[in-house]
Amino acid sequence: MTRGDGTNGGGGGQQQQQQGARKLPRKRFYRARAHSNPLSDSHFPIPISPDEVDLSQHYPRYFPAGEDEGRDGDAMAPRIRFADVGCGFGGLLVGLSTLFPDTLMIGMELRDKVTEYVKERILALRASNLGKYDNISIVRTNSMKYIPNYFRKAQLSKMFFLFPDPHFKEKNHRRRVISMTLLDEYAYVMEVGGIIYTITDVEELGEWMRSCLEKHPLFEAIPEEEIKEDPVVKLLSTATEEGQKVARNGGQTFQAIFRRISLQEE
Amino acid sequence: MEDATVEEAEVSGAAEFAPALVAAHPLGHSVAVAVGSELRVFDLKDGSAVSLSDDSGGGSHSDAIRALSFSMNGLLFASAGDDKLVKVWKTDSWCCIQTITSEKRVSAVAISNDGLYVTFADKFGVIWLVNVGQSDGGQGSTDNKPVPIFGHYCSIITSMKFSPDGRFIATADRDFKIRVTLFPKNPLRGAHEIQSFCLGHTEFVSCIAFTCLSQGPSFLLSGGGDSTVRLWDYINGCILDTCQIQDKVGELLEPNETEDSNLAIADICPTNDGSLVAVAIQSLNGVMLLACDFIAKKLSFIKVCLFG
Repeated sequence: MTRGDGTNGGGGGQQQQQQGARKLPRKRFYRARAHSNPLSDSHFPIPISPDEVDLSQHYPRYFPAGEDEGRDGDAMAPRIRFADVGCGFGGLLVGLSTLFPDTLMIGMELRDKVTEYVKERILALRASNLGKYDNISIVRTNSMKYIPNYFRKAQLSKMFFLFPDPHFKEKNHRRRVISMTLLDEYAYVMEVGGIIYTITDVEELGEWMRSCLEKHPLFEAIPEEEIKEDPVVKLLSTATEEGQKVARNGGQTFQAIFRRISLQEE
Repeated sequence: MEDATVEEAEVSGAAEFAPALVAAHPLGHSVAVAVGSELRVFDLKDGSAVSLSDDSGGGSHSDAIRALSFSMNGLLFASAGDDKLVKVWKTDSWCCIQTITSEKRVSAVAISNDGLYVTFADKFGVIWLVNVGQSDGGQGSTDNKPVPIFGHYCSIITSMKFSPDGRFIATADRDFKIRVTLFPKNPLRGAHEIQSFCLGHTEFVSCIAFTCLSQGPSFLLSGGGDSTVRLWDYINGCILDTCQIQDKVGELLEPNETEDSNLAIADICPTNDGSLVAVAIQSLNGVMLLACDFIAKKLSFIKVCLFG
């Protein structure tokens, strides 16, 4: 039961015929503030449950609209496997899309204008690179409240939290996107063996996120050797606007990359 | 004696009045009623009112009571509410043995099946757990501070129940969600492993209750602001059946009373043998009875009993 608007992701069939005519969106026309209040109940449609997520809106090439309504519930149908929480302008998704061309990924973003920008960006990329970027999409939502509405238990193999809002004041720490409470939910939607990637340029936040992950019984740190081998890790600091800005300013980044494990019975 | 427990959500006029609450002892010994800040208990065996006493060093509730709960075996009882107090009572003597202070107002309370722990939810959606005091009259035991064990992020918890086998704790919130969490052997470390989410309500979930056949399967019932009572396979987070209340009570109410908000489910209560479910509905001056079929996994309408 979603009141989905048709511009989610990429249904525009008639535009694909004008090859290359679809230009990349210009950020200046999508001005947005860096912050959005995650506690306010904004009015965007939320799927009642993961069964209600309309995959044909997001990934039309994989789920042609109108073809077999029951497909979304089909156990064999491909599912979203990567989620970029707070995806901003979509840089990570674009970078991951070609690295994992057969994996469906979604970005979740709270800000309206930023979401619109990314939607346009994805449509433009699909139009000028036929056969590519069909596996990425974005949804405007509050992932701190509604993650279980989008993903089934153990659905995701990767979750990303790049440069989240630090919420410096102690009374606002509970608004941080990584916390013991929310890690329960992230662990729920991740499969055992799945990987959670976090990065920030704020040292205190980096320590906070690492500490939460270390304390949480369902996550364990991934050894350095393994992190070095992971092609995704480099993208954390280079693929996004935020990461590039930090590099330009010569800032340091702090990563915490952990694996979802099963609970050790005592 | 069957415990047809019903919560009458009689919200008269302004929404500032807390609804009156009712809870029945699981073995039918007594009935507890909360009206505002007043807690009253009636002994059904003696047929007389009970006078409450307090050994915990605290006074009686000073603000609206928002939650009541008996433990599974009926030995303990908990009350909590807007005065930020959680009071734990022994039901043989109706003496309050422990008063716990919460940082925030409390919206739900439950007692673990083994009677060792009390859990309560605050208005930020955090679930706290505290040891039930040892019966040495332990006043102000310093290691009895509540610890947070999990939470529904920025949601108000409306109902919290332990599963009959004690393995799970289910919590429902105003953001349409029901979460079923594994209740670990050592819960003081937190309850971090989510078994399932039961998602399907299209409005706030107002009440949940486990129902089971003795030695048999158990399911979860829920009622919500969407005027439905739902039956769930809570192990897998699957909806088994949905009962639309509107159709059944439509003709019993005045036309102006049938707006959706007036048909919200106020409370549900299954009988001990699992065969029936009593449903309290806002604006309905009566109780609806549903039958629960564990084989077919379905709910069916039986009748509406009107008061007066």
